[in-house]
Amino acid sequence: MELTLAHLYPQHMNLYGDRGNVLALQYRAVHRGWGFHVVDVDLGDAVDWKTVDLIFMGGGEDTHQARIYEDFLRRGPELQALLDEGVPMLAVCGAYQLLGHHYRTADGAVLQGLGYLDITTEAGPSRAIGDVVCETTLPVTPMTLVGFENHGGRTFLGPEGTPLGTVRVGKGNNGTDGSEGAVKNHTLGTYLHGSLLPKNPQVTDLLLQWAANRQTGGPTPLPPLDSTREMAAHDVIVKRSKIRHV
Amino acid sequence: MRFALAVWLGRVAGWVSRLTGRGGSSLPGLVARRIDPQVFIRLSSHLPQGVILLTGTNGKTTTAAVASHLLRASGLKVIHNRTGANLILGLTATLLQASRFRLMPQGDLALLETDEATMPKASQESRPRAIVVTNFFRDQLDRYGELSTTVNFVRRGIESLADQGWLILNADDPQVAYLGENHPRVFYYGADLSAYASSPGGYDVADARFCPRCASPLHYRRQYYAHIGDYECPQCHFRRPVPDLLLVDWQGGASYPLRIDFRGEQFAVPNRLPGLYNAYNVMAAISLALLYDVTLAEISEGLEEFRPAFGRMEAVSIQDRLVWMALVKNPVGFNQVLETIQQDPHPDKNMLLIINDHYADGQDVSWLWDVDFETWLKSHPAGKFWASGIRAQDMALRLQYAGVDPDSITVIEKPSDALDDLLTKTAVGQVTYITPTYTALLEVRQYLTAKGYTKHFREG
Repeated sequence: MELTLAHLYPQHMNLYGDRGNVLALQYRAVHRGWGFHVVDVDLGDAVDWKTVDLIFMGGGEDTHQARIYEDFLRRGPELQALLDEGVPMLAVCGAYQLLGHHYRTADGAVLQGLGYLDITTEAGPSRAIGDVVCETTLPVTPMTLVGFENHGGRTFLGPEGTPLGTVRVGKGNNGTDGSEGAVKNHTLGTYLHGSLLPKNPQVTDLLLQWAANRQTGGPTPLPPLDSTREMAAHDVIVKRSKIRHV
Repeated sequence: MRFALAVWLGRVAGWVSRLTGRGGSSLPGLVARRIDPQVFIRLSSHLPQGVILLTGTNGKTTTAAVASHLLRASGLKVIHNRTGANLILGLTATLLQASRFRLMPQGDLALLETDEATMPKASQESRPRAIVVTNFFRDQLDRYGELSTTVNFVRRGIESLADQGWLILNADDPQVAYLGENHPRVFYYGADLSAYASSPGGYDVADARFCPRCASPLHYRRQYYAHIGDYECPQCHFRRPVPDLLLVDWQGGASYPLRIDFRGEQFAVPNRLPGLYNAYNVMAAISLALLYDVTLAEISEGLEEFRPAFGRMEAVSIQDRLVWMALVKNPVGFNQVLETIQQDPHPDKNMLLIINDHYADGQDVSWLWDVDFETWLKSHPAGKFWASGIRAQDMALRLQYAGVDPDSITVIEKPSDALDDLLTKTAVGQVTYITPTYTALLEVRQYLTAKGYTKHFREG
């Protein structure tokens, strides 16, 4: 198995250890004997999307996000076609917001997003910062996801939106309806970093599984891989939140 | 009257707090400011040569330690805050405790290491004669959200600089240098190291890749680490200002002199601190000393005698094992420490990494994933690793994902137990590097004091 990951805007969108997610996918692919290639996609770069099996994009400072905004929207139709086709994508924080319909800034300006996920985001009165534990709707074990959130936006799901999980500790999407993130097809949008994938190996494996299935055109066995260390890091957050695995 | 009451009750609070073993770095400030909110303004206006504020992401403590050492060497009486007491309460406490029996602080000037977010208030109240800014890197974003917020705090601080006050700025950090644009009195320091090779192909978080004036990508003629180097904007031609004080030769290691060019005149000064980041700290300190008319001879002598601040790349001998300690708190600082470890030619280097996530450490440990362990490991000889602290498991996982053999990583969450284990499992003559976060550094100090190893330590 040879997988290729497109890392969108690694220069601009890399605020909170986002690279850890790429390293996690790479580690758990390579240690299964698979090949894993990372293609960095920067402003204006041409991409051969046919060769891409997985997509990752992180969050960035407002000024950096503004710089990639137009380039990202220009890639919209291509990207959307891939996501519809089932290419797995992980979008964290700023990238998650950009996959939604729009973002309304504090001074009322509306920035259009890709509109792939049925979410809208508006600037909140304060930043949501801290540990997050949530219970995911994804078909994984454990269902517990852990991470750290740090975002000023409040995100609301539309009628077609499916949350990635339910918050048990932390604020999640908006701090009011208990939802965190959004899922559509094989696209995961989330506010969780920390980084997310190293401490949630079940999600790393799910993304790899989806990518492998799509490439081979059918169910593909995922060779077993030890997760002791990953789950030990996971459990530190679960334990101090005084909740139990689900 | 209100002022005198504030000073005395503040001091009493400090004595009581120290007697009861609580350190007391901010309580006196709290008490005094409650009684007289103007107390810091009055105290600082009494100092004949005023207040200097020193801020920036990395290097504050070391720079302040070197600078106050140099200023003292020239005969000035310098008031200087203790490590960590760099918020407004700590700054206030520093000034009101700068005399035991008189009302006013006894000193010529105060050199105050100041947290970035405290800059607006500290500057407004003290009207500093000089502000030193070392660098801006991503750091503890869980506190302020984004780096631009931090830069704005410092910018607001600069607005309250005294008339005729000076800025001392790192010319090689674009966001720092930009603070000096259109300012009439700026002293810039920087480096021109033609022989210095920055780690090519490595992963580096450069937070200021873009022009602070027009936001176009910057072009670097030389890039030493992160976004530190000689840059120019191809769009608006904003460029690295010509440094008044220029580092022209740096060989690494802790025993090579620094060659410096001061407005056309070259000289060499002794240097006891390893790492290029420390050379920048020394440059900032020399800049400040020069501005206060300290002579080159006094600077040279002062640097010869200088010993590092506690836990800032400081060496101690524990049971005949050489142990270096270097505080880590953000990716750029950690990368610089790793590079310094790499420059140590010792064949057998062990590491104890202690990661806590209290407020003072930064509660978000995701920055560990931005540290370039991958590139560093390629040239790191075999050695043992200990991961410790509240987030020991995250640290161990980071090392494992970077390619460290899982069998050579020992996870012991309690730092004192990890240190005990390390001392039993390493041989005499081996070198160990300890990289703790802030509160972990305090735990290590407590351990070393309890074991009687702290003779060599002094407060930074």
